Amino acid sequence: MKKTHVLGLVFIAASIAALLTLMDDISTYDSVESARRKEGKFVHLIAKLDTTKPVIYDPLKDPNYLSFVAVDSLGSSTAVVYRNAKPTDFEKSQRVVMKGSMKGEVFECKEIILKCPSKYTDEKVAKL
Amino acid sequence: MIKYNGEHLLIGQIGMFLTLLAFTAALLAAFANFKAANANELEEKPWRRLARISFLTNAVSVIGLFVVLYLIIYNHYFEYKYAHSHSKRSLDMQYLLSCFWEGQEGSFMLWAFWNAILGAVLIKWSRKWEYPVMSVMSILQLFLASFLLGIYFFDIRIGTNPFVLMRNEFPDAPIFQDADYLTKYLTDGNGLNILLQNYWMVIHPPVLFLGFASAAVPYAFAVAGLWKRDHAGWVRAAMPWALFSAGILGLGIMMGGAWAYESLTFGGYWAWDPVENASMVPWLLLVAGIHTMLIFQSTGHSLKSSYLFIALGYLLVLYSTFLTRTGVLGDTSVHSFTGEGNSLYWHLLLMQFVFIALPLALYWRDRKNVPVVVKEESMNSREFWMFVGSLLLLISAVYIIVLTSLPFINKLIGTSWAIGDEVEYVYNRIMVLVTIVLALLTAMTQYFKYKDTTRKYLWSKLLVPTVISAVLGALVSIFGDINYDKFGLGYLVAIHVALWASIYTVVANAFYLGSVLKWKMKAAGSSITHFGFGLMLVGILISASKKELISQNLTGILVKGLRDNKGKEDNPLENMTLIYNTPIPMGKYMVTYLGDSSEPKNNKVYFKINFVETDTVTNEVKDQFTITPNAFMIKSETGSNLSSNPGAKHYLTSDVFVYITSWMSPENAKKDTSEFKYTRVSQGDTVFYSNGYVLVEDLVRANKNDNKDLPLVDSAWLSKLNVVSSQGVGFKSTPGYFVQKGFGFSKADTVMEQSLVLNLEKRGKDDVYLGVKESASVMRYITLKAFRFPLINLLWLGTVIMVIGFMISMYFRLKSKLYAI
Repeated sequence: MKKTHVLGLVFIAASIAALLTLMDDISTYDSVESARRKEGKFVHLIAKLDTTKPVIYDPLKDPNYLSFVAVDSLGSSTAVVYRNAKPTDFEKSQRVVMKGSMKGEVFECKEIILKCPSKYTDEKVAKL
Repeated sequence: MIKYNGEHLLIGQIGMFLTLLAFTAALLAAFANFKAANANELEEKPWRRLARISFLTNAVSVIGLFVVLYLIIYNHYFEYKYAHSHSKRSLDMQYLLSCFWEGQEGSFMLWAFWNAILGAVLIKWSRKWEYPVMSVMSILQLFLASFLLGIYFFDIRIGTNPFVLMRNEFPDAPIFQDADYLTKYLTDGNGLNILLQNYWMVIHPPVLFLGFASAAVPYAFAVAGLWKRDHAGWVRAAMPWALFSAGILGLGIMMGGAWAYESLTFGGYWAWDPVENASMVPWLLLVAGIHTMLIFQSTGHSLKSSYLFIALGYLLVLYSTFLTRTGVLGDTSVHSFTGEGNSLYWHLLLMQFVFIALPLALYWRDRKNVPVVVKEESMNSREFWMFVGSLLLLISAVYIIVLTSLPFINKLIGTSWAIGDEVEYVYNRIMVLVTIVLALLTAMTQYFKYKDTTRKYLWSKLLVPTVISAVLGALVSIFGDINYDKFGLGYLVAIHVALWASIYTVVANAFYLGSVLKWKMKAAGSSITHFGFGLMLVGILISASKKELISQNLTGILVKGLRDNKGKEDNPLENMTLIYNTPIPMGKYMVTYLGDSSEPKNNKVYFKINFVETDTVTNEVKDQFTITPNAFMIKSETGSNLSSNPGAKHYLTSDVFVYITSWMSPENAKKDTSEFKYTRVSQGDTVFYSNGYVLVEDLVRANKNDNKDLPLVDSAWLSKLNVVSSQGVGFKSTPGYFVQKGFGFSKADTVMEQSLVLNLEKRGKDDVYLGVKESASVMRYITLKAFRFPLINLLWLGTVIMVIGFMISMYFRLKSKLYAI
């Protein structure tokens, strides 16, 4: 066998090993219900902010505590705690992707990605 | 049909015409170049004429398109959707260019612009390669122009035209019933995403797109090599272009990093965001390709790899465009993508297919004649280790792009995978290993000679730099205080080893310049490039592993039970609240929020944050500086939100980096709900509140008859209060109560410093009540995050040196007779 072939095999083995280590870190996109079933497991929860419930954020008391209620497309909702500052445009968001895990009844969220409406919308023009 | 007033239709029609012209000319250029490439000497001349004229027509139209769109934005013609969506009257001049790249069409136009310039240069200088290379460039221009067409082909819209009118896009909107809609309704645009209002955003996209566009040139030469069956010639011709492209693309990527660092709030220059990954992966392959091309030129090995890397590099440019522009990445990126819908999705897939099929088919046609060296590379040869390095670059590129593509893979096979909670670590732990090997190779490989190297030679040259960097590395490890143990000891050790290896790269390449090249610039390009690359690695490793959170919130208690995935106690409390004029300790600084000033023109607010470092023993001020991060206030029905821009204090050896995460703005203050507590008072009384007491110094009744200063009311109760805080500081306050035409109303007064609202009220006949409200909203405060990035300047310096190195290599190759084509 040629050295280059050996080299190739080594690299392929290394890449497979690298990808295998990934398996631990792969999480999934979930709904509130399926996240509840996997309590404690790190998931990506796709939901939206329940605007009928209060959003609690008081930087004077604790700038690292945001709590709100999220409701997913299937209608299930959960309380969410995010120990960080309230993201910009939070109330305007159409959808939130929350990374974290269920701890009892509460979703402990480590990161929030907001999907805000594009600042340019058809309705806006229609309203004019 | 309504006749609309004030529209500027001609300029849009010119734009539309130029789009069509660019498209047609590119089509013609592709055809003519193809014909010329396959023609014999007699037929060649007329085809050449046609090919050149049509490509230059395309180039001129693309430049014309650029000018037209710029004029539309510059003149605020909001009847055009592009101007309306991406610009605004109040926008500063310099950001008008950013409006260009914000939209899909503008960035395709920018890409086409560079292609046109590169094509014109190629026509002038590529000599015998002109027709095949220009065929590829023309096909590329054809695709880019087709993205701008916006023409319906049956029911499918092909491309999006930047010159569409608002009233054609939204024909049902009622405002278009009015002939004067432009002066009545569409008087201003939606403006530019504020994240893009940064000078890096003006300059980095053009550089990045020049990088993307120029990566097409080596690709075109590779295709030309296969087409013309000149497997050696294309490497020579493509080399200076590959060097140029790698240099510019590298510069563009890092300028993007600088933009992220200065205007995004994820606190860093790199976050393994899909957009960043997508621009980096082609660069990795391009660099791998340059190395295999060098191997081929010196030994004849690695030709197939060169074809593979160069072709793959460009395909990844296209694939990246596909990932980042069609919305397939969806939820994974902080960048928001406007999915242009299905048509762009298939359009870009088709483009990728063409650019894969082209080299594959040509390779298949000539596969028997692609030269292969049977003899194996020696382990003591430069080419062997260069090849190992190139393979490693390929592997890391694959790793990055597979992870980045997860959302697309999910879409294809119906899974719902995502990277877990430590996204950066998932990339970094592999990259730190790659860095170790890559840095060692970059340090040592140049000391090997092609074909074979004696051990004695190698050691005589390598000994000194190896010893020096071992000592330096040890010093950094011992005194550098690098103890990033969030992910365990193994990772920390890997960081240290990678740092050693990177220092080795820097030292060994500096020595190579002196001891082997004797400072001859002609061959110095690669050493300078590698030296810069090494500096970058050192800068990245140190600034990332020693990144320090200054605003660690110790006022809060550790959140019980919050553990990271390694089971360690996790303290994510990164925000600190600063009350106006109240110093708060943060790391080694006393930090004070000194105030804010707003720029009403564009709703920008500047915050003055003062940092003071005092010597703990002598109490002398060691260092003092003010950072002014800013934020845009975005008003909406739900109150105003802020979009923050970091501020930084730059030192030679580190940066202090601050951004605002929340601000109690005057508007939000109105929504305060806490209530007044009333106490009946008379002169001389004292009322207590949480932080002190209020002394009623004077309480007088006045009416029109005995007080001429009250012309507007019939009678009034006036008070003079002295508010004394627990620190013993007194504040004056004068709330009052007025009666006019039988109706009573209060005039409240605030004591900002104590966040008090004081109020007077009359109940019954002569009973006066003092209302005290302790309100969050009168208090001025901000919440911020602060970091320190040590040695980040090494990263920027390394980048500049690396790019200079690439350019030196390119320059001397262009001058050298060996590279004449």
